Amino acid sequence: MLKTMNQKVSIFLILLAVGYLYAAYNLKKYPYVPVDADAVPKVLGYLLIGLAIILFFDKSSETEEDKEKRDVPKKEIPIMLGVGGFIFLYIFLLEILGFVVTSALFIFGCSLFLGYSRHVMNAVVSIMVPGVLYVTFTYLLNIILPQGILPF
Amino acid sequence: MGAMEGIAQGFQVAFSLQGILFVLIGVIAGTLIGMMPGLGPISAIAIMIPVTYGMEASVALIMMAGVYYGAVFGGSTSSILLNAPGISGTVASSFDGYPMAQRGEAGKALAIAAISSFVGGTVSVVLLMLFAPMLSQVAVSFGPAQYFALMFLGLTAISSLSDGSTTKALITATIGFMTATIGLDGQTGTSRFTFNNPNLMEGIDFLVIALGLFAIAEVCFLIIKRKDTSLSDQGDIGSLRLSKEDFKEMRGPMTRQSFLGFLLGVLPGAGATIASFIGYISEKRIAKNPEKFGKGSIKGLAAPETANNAATSGAFVPLLSLGIPGSGTTAVMLGALLVLGIQPGPLLVQESPDVFWGIIASMYIGNIFLLILNLPLIPYIAKILKISRPLLISLVIIFSLIGVYSISFNTFDLYVLLFFGVVGYFMRILNFPAAPFILAFILGGMMEQSMRQALTASGGDVMALISDPVSISLYVVSALSFIVPLIRTRKNRPAA
Repeated sequence: MLKTMNQKVSIFLILLAVGYLYAAYNLKKYPYVPVDADAVPKVLGYLLIGLAIILFFDKSSETEEDKEKRDVPKKEIPIMLGVGGFIFLYIFLLEILGFVVTSALFIFGCSLFLGYSRHVMNAVVSIMVPGVLYVTFTYLLNIILPQGILPF
Repeated sequence: MGAMEGIAQGFQVAFSLQGILFVLIGVIAGTLIGMMPGLGPISAIAIMIPVTYGMEASVALIMMAGVYYGAVFGGSTSSILLNAPGISGTVASSFDGYPMAQRGEAGKALAIAAISSFVGGTVSVVLLMLFAPMLSQVAVSFGPAQYFALMFLGLTAISSLSDGSTTKALITATIGFMTATIGLDGQTGTSRFTFNNPNLMEGIDFLVIALGLFAIAEVCFLIIKRKDTSLSDQGDIGSLRLSKEDFKEMRGPMTRQSFLGFLLGVLPGAGATIASFIGYISEKRIAKNPEKFGKGSIKGLAAPETANNAATSGAFVPLLSLGIPGSGTTAVMLGALLVLGIQPGPLLVQESPDVFWGIIASMYIGNIFLLILNLPLIPYIAKILKISRPLLISLVIIFSLIGVYSISFNTFDLYVLLFFGVVGYFMRILNFPAAPFILAFILGGMMEQSMRQALTASGGDVMALISDPVSISLYVVSALSFIVPLIRTRKNRPAA
């Protein structure tokens, strides 16, 4: 039934709009307010449904270039997920280990994972960049980054 | 003291040895701070306020002007080189600046940005000198109804921000507007779409969305193309030299956007972001080859860069004439002026003409120094592109993450950044343009608030939105900006 990518996307958008509208209809209402907090969200929800329906019946065909864009080599998907995992780990450890240690580990590990083979340069950059950023933010700009396990 | 005497005195201070030295320090510090992830002119000025303690007011202000222009230019470099706009005013610069950098013209792109910024900034300073008192009266006459009409005009431009399907552009704009509704409602205090998560109460910060949709989404493509060494193997980052044809192409957008950007900057709340988007869109609308926009067009880069700089000077009109800061940056600037013992307002030009004209002269000098200093630095700045892809990917991620963390100090926002990165990636592979999302996110929230304020003030009378000449004129321009491109497209369509 869903032949084109546009049709698949439009179904997703309709579901998103329905969820949004459900939440909009459940917003708290106040009397004596000419335009309440739910007014604009309701308009937006219905507008998205309308646009999604137009997209569903959109007959413009995809070009080869468009299809190529979606064509991600299968071997790259685990790599992208791996980088996503690295980011998750970074966010989780940022306030525990501190900015300098987490960032150094991230830059070295992520670059290595992506195939960077100049290990000495990788190590130098991994230590220098977070170090310079930390000193600049914390001591010069007074923006305190997580200190973590380091004593300074 | 007359205006001419005041101007002469202002320039005398700015051109003194001390003045030149401090503007130099200001421009360098501003550029470096502006290049830092998440830090724009607001942070740059705020950071430099303590440095000015004990300084002579006129010299301190000269340094501040340097910091201001330096920070705006610094923000443009990360937009152009990495597709990672650090502040909202430079998002539109990435639309054509990044494609130029990708095809090996990073030097040229940065030179165009520097020159356009200089022209926009300089022309608007002259306009500021001439029209500051008069324009401030017009600016304060803008009420919620007029703002609603202005935001509406901005939103009609959405179709111009997409090369492909208008439906897709409208869908992303709608979702951008929906995203802007997350958080506490400004009028009733209702918590909207927060799912009782306290981290969402204040809504989602612009930077989280901009870095997610642009920088993190770009990282996904860099991962796929990480073995492609075509860019880093290039012997040079391209020449900085602009040809006669390049200047010819820049001339129109620079002239038009200097004026338009300035006028938009005068309006409190409109500012550099709206000016840069409207600048980009209006140039695309009138261009002979609009299809070149978004693919590294010189006009597409010159327009937003000119407009955002012109708007930053325009924002000084209400500040200096009325003492009302119209933007975040001028609010911090007001703080800086107060720290220096200067009270901006209607009496400033009469009571302290030396300070009034000194500020304006220092902005002019700041612009000149920015150009002189930054043009020779461009080859070094653009070397970022020659960094090996795997290392560049890691660094862009770290810069984006820390840029977001430094404004919220909350790891929740980092997860949201990652989420918008994934959304941005899927939007790109499915041909949904990201620019309308950003535009609607920025304008949508303001538009909703303006509309509701206007309707509350009028007791729910919808006619309040269309009852005055300014609003009607803005709606007419909105209608024209929507209809004219449609007619042009139909005319250009080959007969079947």
